[in-house]
Amino acid sequence: MIDRLREAVREKLQELDLVIGYGEGYDPLHATPVFIQKPEEVDRLIWNPLCVHNLATYLYELRGKRVGVVVKGCDSRSVLQLLNEGLIKREEIYIFGIPCDGVIDLRKVAQKVDIYRVKEVSWQKDAFTAKTDRGEVSLGLEEVLQDKCRGCPYPTPVIHDFLAKDPVKPKGEGEGLLEQVSELEELSPQERLAYWRKELERCIRCYACRNACPLCVCQDFCAAEARDPHWIPLRDRVKEKWMWQMLHVLHLAGRCTGCGECERACPMGIPLLRIRAKVNKELKELFDYEAGVKEGVRPPLLTYQVSEPKIEERQW
Amino acid sequence: MAKRERRIIGFLCNWCSYGGADTAGVSRLQYPTDLRVLRVPCSGRVNPLLVVKAFAEGADGVLVSGCHPGDCHYVEGNYYARRRLELLKRLLPFMGIEPGRFEYTWVSSSEGQRWQKVATEFTEEIHRLGPFEGWEEEGDR
Amino acid sequence: MKDGVKFLEEGALEGLLRRLSERARVWVPVEATPGVVLWRPWREGEKVRLDRQGTEPPKHVLFPRSETLLRIYEKEELKIEEVMPQGPSVIFGARPCDVRGFEVFDQVFGEEDPYYSVRRRETTILTVLCTEPERTCFCTTVGGGPLEEKGSDVTLLWIEGGWLAQAVTERGEEVLRDEAFVEASREQIEKGEQRKEAVKLDPVVDLSGIPEKFLESFTSDFWRRVTAKCISCGACTFLCPTCYCFNITDERTPEGAERLRSWDACMFYHYTLEASGHNPRPTKAERYRNRIGHKFSYHPSNYGTYGCTGCGRCIKYCPVGMDVREILRELKEYAEG
Repeated sequence: MIDRLREAVREKLQELDLVIGYGEGYDPLHATPVFIQKPEEVDRLIWNPLCVHNLATYLYELRGKRVGVVVKGCDSRSVLQLLNEGLIKREEIYIFGIPCDGVIDLRKVAQKVDIYRVKEVSWQKDAFTAKTDRGEVSLGLEEVLQDKCRGCPYPTPVIHDFLAKDPVKPKGEGEGLLEQVSELEELSPQERLAYWRKELERCIRCYACRNACPLCVCQDFCAAEARDPHWIPLRDRVKEKWMWQMLHVLHLAGRCTGCGECERACPMGIPLLRIRAKVNKELKELFDYEAGVKEGVRPPLLTYQVSEPKIEERQW
Repeated sequence: MAKRERRIIGFLCNWCSYGGADTAGVSRLQYPTDLRVLRVPCSGRVNPLLVVKAFAEGADGVLVSGCHPGDCHYVEGNYYARRRLELLKRLLPFMGIEPGRFEYTWVSSSEGQRWQKVATEFTEEIHRLGPFEGWEEEGDR
Repeated sequence: MKDGVKFLEEGALEGLLRRLSERARVWVPVEATPGVVLWRPWREGEKVRLDRQGTEPPKHVLFPRSETLLRIYEKEELKIEEVMPQGPSVIFGARPCDVRGFEVFDQVFGEEDPYYSVRRRETTILTVLCTEPERTCFCTTVGGGPLEEKGSDVTLLWIEGGWLAQAVTERGEEVLRDEAFVEASREQIEKGEQRKEAVKLDPVVDLSGIPEKFLESFTSDFWRRVTAKCISCGACTFLCPTCYCFNITDERTPEGAERLRSWDACMFYHYTLEASGHNPRPTKAERYRNRIGHKFSYHPSNYGTYGCTGCGRCIKYCPVGMDVREILRELKEYAEG
């Protein structure tokens, strides 16, 4: 499969300024984005369950150039959403799609093996083995896949110019993320507040979540860092960190495609994805809307209906 | 209520709801004084972040009131508001602000009695929920 | 090496921390959530993680993420109140790379920063020496080492059952007088020596000439190429033991206002944004160039040591896997034109 992809990239490279794909990272447990400009660099491209990054995050800053990008199913939704919002132009991108069976959550791997001391990784069908100085650990992919991959509704890219292998059937209706949401919905409001206080308290406002997000294009001019109006004080208390997440999530409402890069990028392991998953769940329920799955659709908060059948109003 | 006042913020649209509150006042209708009114041109002007900011700064309750859908002075502002605020209403409890602390409603400028009812019921609900102490930290004054 | 070598049994740790807490605020590495180890004030029953490098360095103990410098009261009368740090601290369980980070702070903040220097003077540091470097560790490349004692008051070396403890300073000797520390046996000391000898961490690149090479590369396309995948967040900066940049801002309070000093990062757009609106570092290429330049060119030229301790956190926690070692290697080979 990787040969088909490399061939396609090699061919298309002549018409493109660059192609963004996955290459080997700084250790056996990490892939990394690679920016291919010359044919001899094409062999750096790899594909395995460690290819977690959403490469669509680079598209907005590269507008004006002809860019090829390698995407999984979830990543392709980000591309489509960027197109729907007119942030990038269709004729400037070439989409190499990879139907995906799921990617690994290194935080889950870290609970079974010392991920900072892995010397070698070997792949088996549905499993992989990690070797450290202390021995070997074999892990079934099922147990270390990201939550978003469980029940993935769009494993095959929803938009593409080239597909590296046969389409993969939907794995479900997004059970992985819905469970993350219902876990919290089942708590009492006081328990939920205590939960978020405990999790958000670790936030250091590094904005890795914002910068990793493909739909966050305002980064240099983000409202969270604005002094006028000054939405969020620079103090280091929980309420400021809570306010930052609320700001981010509300600005992404109707735009977030649930790729989970925010949570993956967070150095403090804060479970950010479930906040966005909650918003996405409500938008699906209220307006039958999912970001980045259909071309030409207007985000629900930028439009309205005179009569909203799903909104039940409070009676006084 | 002889208890200490709760900190309740109300965003009222200038044309309908503020007028409604005015009508209530002119008619000498009594209601609790906890709710402090912020006049905005339209409920559609209410950025959900304003509500979030109020809660982050320690508000016990926030109410947004606009024209009835279909009667917006700016034709469609409240249609957008309805969508945004419904989403916000569902998100806030998930993030730790109990249901009942945030409400949005529609009050027209002639509905003095309705405003009295809304303000009274909302204030009573906030008193029942108690002060919001979610942001307190060790070492706070 | 002042006094003899002592031994701290694992079971005696809790008692030691309790006694230290009676006279100082004791900061320890704690697993705040699985996989994330952060520096928190010690509390009874807190499980301390001394077996690995913390996700964050203990930087915020001496240099808080956000601290109040002044409070201004406006209500009755105008009053301005300085807020000075108070009380001694103990940093228990730092790593040599964390300690070297404080060395950089000392060079830059010195005695002139009243907030930093007061805290620094009143802080005792107990360091756990590293016997098993991680794959991203490169302290020996930048002049440090896994067994480096400089800057610590006490060093701790793990052998089965507990730690061998040695005082490096007089303050350290005082700590070792606690009942938790007993004379180490000959076998224990030998075990320790074996452990130390087995530690191997070779430098990954020879940095001689790097400060000059950097300046040569300044206007070239090199930086645009190597920063292609950077997303310009602040994770590397905020988790770095030597990054010390800050911002001073005034914020409103119910009583008036506060002047805050908060962490800043040269990776953010606003960092170099000028009042006119002009920004000399408009893209991530210029900003990352500044990061490398500061640590590997400007700081060594001014102070004689690298502004990097080789802890590897910027590599581990970078969402896209930027590898400073790789960039330094490429910079070393960089030729003009």
